[in-house]
Amino acid sequence: MRIAFNLCAGALAALLSQAALAGTYELEITEKSVNFTGSEAKAMAVNDSIPGPLLRFRDGEDITIHVKNSMAVDSSIHWHGLLLPYTQDGVPGISFPGIKPGETFTYRFTAKQSGTYWYHSHSGLQEQQGVYGPLIIEPKGREPFRYDREYVVMLSDWSDEKPETILRNLKADSDYYNNDRPTLGDFFKDVGSKGLGATLKDRREWGEMRMLPSDISDVSGYTFLTNGRTPEQNWTGLFKPGERVRLRFINGAAMTIFDVRIPGLKMTVVQADGNNVQPVPVDEFRIAVAETYDVIVRPTEDRAYTVFAEAMARTGYARATLAPRQGMAETVPDLRPRPRLTMADMAGHAGHEGMDHGGAAMESGESGMAHGGGHGAMSHDGAMKADKKMAHGGGHGGMQHGDGMTMPGMAQGADDPGDYAPGSGLTPRAADGGRVLVYGDLKAMTPYADYRAPDREIELRLTGNMERYTWSINGVKYSDAEPVRLTYGERVRLKFVNETMMTHPMHLHGMWMQLDNGSGRFSPLKHVINVAPGTTIRADVPADAIGEWAFHCHLMYHMASGMFRKVIVEPPRQGS
Amino acid sequence: MKLFTIGSVVTTLVLFAAAVPVSIAQTQHRGAGHGAMHGKEQMKGHMSGHRSVAGQPGDAAKVDRTIELTMYDNYFEPEEIAVKAGETIRFAIRNKGQFLHEFSLGTAANHAAHQQQMAMMMEHGMITPTGIDHKMMKMDHGGKSMMHDDGSSALVEPGKSAELIWTFAEATELEFACNMPGHYDAGMAGRVRFRHGDDG
Repeated sequence: MRIAFNLCAGALAALLSQAALAGTYELEITEKSVNFTGSEAKAMAVNDSIPGPLLRFRDGEDITIHVKNSMAVDSSIHWHGLLLPYTQDGVPGISFPGIKPGETFTYRFTAKQSGTYWYHSHSGLQEQQGVYGPLIIEPKGREPFRYDREYVVMLSDWSDEKPETILRNLKADSDYYNNDRPTLGDFFKDVGSKGLGATLKDRREWGEMRMLPSDISDVSGYTFLTNGRTPEQNWTGLFKPGERVRLRFINGAAMTIFDVRIPGLKMTVVQADGNNVQPVPVDEFRIAVAETYDVIVRPTEDRAYTVFAEAMARTGYARATLAPRQGMAETVPDLRPRPRLTMADMAGHAGHEGMDHGGAAMESGESGMAHGGGHGAMSHDGAMKADKKMAHGGGHGGMQHGDGMTMPGMAQGADDPGDYAPGSGLTPRAADGGRVLVYGDLKAMTPYADYRAPDREIELRLTGNMERYTWSINGVKYSDAEPVRLTYGERVRLKFVNETMMTHPMHLHGMWMQLDNGSGRFSPLKHVINVAPGTTIRADVPADAIGEWAFHCHLMYHMASGMFRKVIVEPPRQGS
Repeated sequence: MKLFTIGSVVTTLVLFAAAVPVSIAQTQHRGAGHGAMHGKEQMKGHMSGHRSVAGQPGDAAKVDRTIELTMYDNYFEPEEIAVKAGETIRFAIRNKGQFLHEFSLGTAANHAAHQQQMAMMMEHGMITPTGIDHKMMKMDHGGKSMMHDDGSSALVEPGKSAELIWTFAEATELEFACNMPGHYDAGMAGRVRFRHGDDG
């Protein structure tokens, strides 16, 4: 018997037979004219839709996907987070040559996992232009949770500017999109509160780093979308009071990390990056670029709720509504104040002696961060590795440099910095005083069978030169780098040391990264690990997929500027 | 016929006894920093309402029938049960999961309040995702031990079994639920359907 599933407004039909679970899908990438901002702009779309159609596979399904490129430029589709043969992974120059204009590439692989994932172009800067969509794989058995209905909530960032122009502007002036530079007025205000000497020194330190404390995200001017709708268009998901609603959050943005909350509703996190986790009730979570989180909410009242996703830099927000009926809406909260990077966020920065100073700095207050040495901007020799453990010694609260440098409200908060350097200006805090999800909360639902000590460790220093807008790993950009070589069967510990002041969501293709968050064999499997400024984080990779894989920062302009490596998994040598 | 053998470790413990716990709840919550969530009225309402609405512990000699329930991670099987008003049920509960689970009878409001308690117990290390710290559980917490037993709840450790006998009162909106942090919202709860006369 053959059953036809109608997917996404009839754009796709998957044919499944009961004998052998198999499905064929058709995607076409075209240019498209859009209007998200009040003016027409050129975009790229999959099946004439932004996001592209929802693909829904089943674990064990033999999948055939014909992708036709109807644009005038090369394109590709990468299946983000999926375990598959590397030739089907869709990265031009690594997995395959890409899809030429007018040509069709047929992807074939078997689904061997389940959960919430997504797909996107891996060519040029096309993700920013609309080539992305959600992907769900249904599990074979019962899920460890239950819900009455579900929605994909795909967040993204849109700019009318061509991404090539954005990148050119960033290369010319990395603060091109920073509308929040300290002004002469700020200078005099700081002189008043801190004294002339401290203010001059403070400005000098930031200047030597080629950084501004307001430099949270490189690009601004975005319109943030939820399932392709602007905040005004207000994408709405319906519910009946008392139902459990599964929300599959996918961050499909090019450059934007979001802080997500639904005022009035607790969110129970049940999945991270497609993998089931032990349920964690939270009030807010931060979702880095390319991560996914599945949450269950249980609205019991007959009223609307706002899904509020603020850009981490507070440059805007994506918004949606959950409501019992169409047309209902709840108040949209105000954006919280813009965060400011602190000296803690540059703890990993080259030349700084970093957080081990912290202890002394605490007592002496503002003047505490006196650094003797020069700061040779972004030089990689002798760089301080700001390990989180070391950083803890620094304590909290002492990092305040006056209003210009700390996040409002930070002064009273000496709480756990979670995934951020203590005293970081970026540490997320729940808007209403509740609980924010941190990586330490993520515990796999089922223990990892082959959990063991790693065979070796590879240190990956995340590096960059903000002034020239080049991003790199261990100081070497992709075009100059040798591939990272792994041997099939080994377990490798990746040690990410973020020496920059930007956040880097690092993505490995084809294999899981088992985040080392202290949960042992319950450590969660992730495809993206977000590394905060000035922190060190580790993840173990079971090298279980032979082939050539991409590994990169998922901030699109960082990836395009060199924070990228090829990872080659080789068969074990004979006789060794 | 005996339907099933009760495991050697049966932990029946209830956080809300009918008479005592208002003061405990307040002390504990203040300690854990959740004070704002629980008004005195709310706790009182919950306490006084519980036994009369849900029923009361049953007499083993007067059991009408047994309902078997299996706990998995994180759901029950079956996910709905049917009882009659006044019926005395022996619940034979087996935890086939790898995490600690609870079987608790009550209204949705009972469970919501109970979840706050369980979260606090987790914070205090009395329970972990996988088990019970029996020592911690017996310890003096704010003048009262946490071991209270009105018989409407059972914590069941992985691989263990428990039994609970309950006489249902009049038909009302009841649920059986696991109030381990996150489990209820993730769907580890089921409806208690009331049958009338001979139907169902």
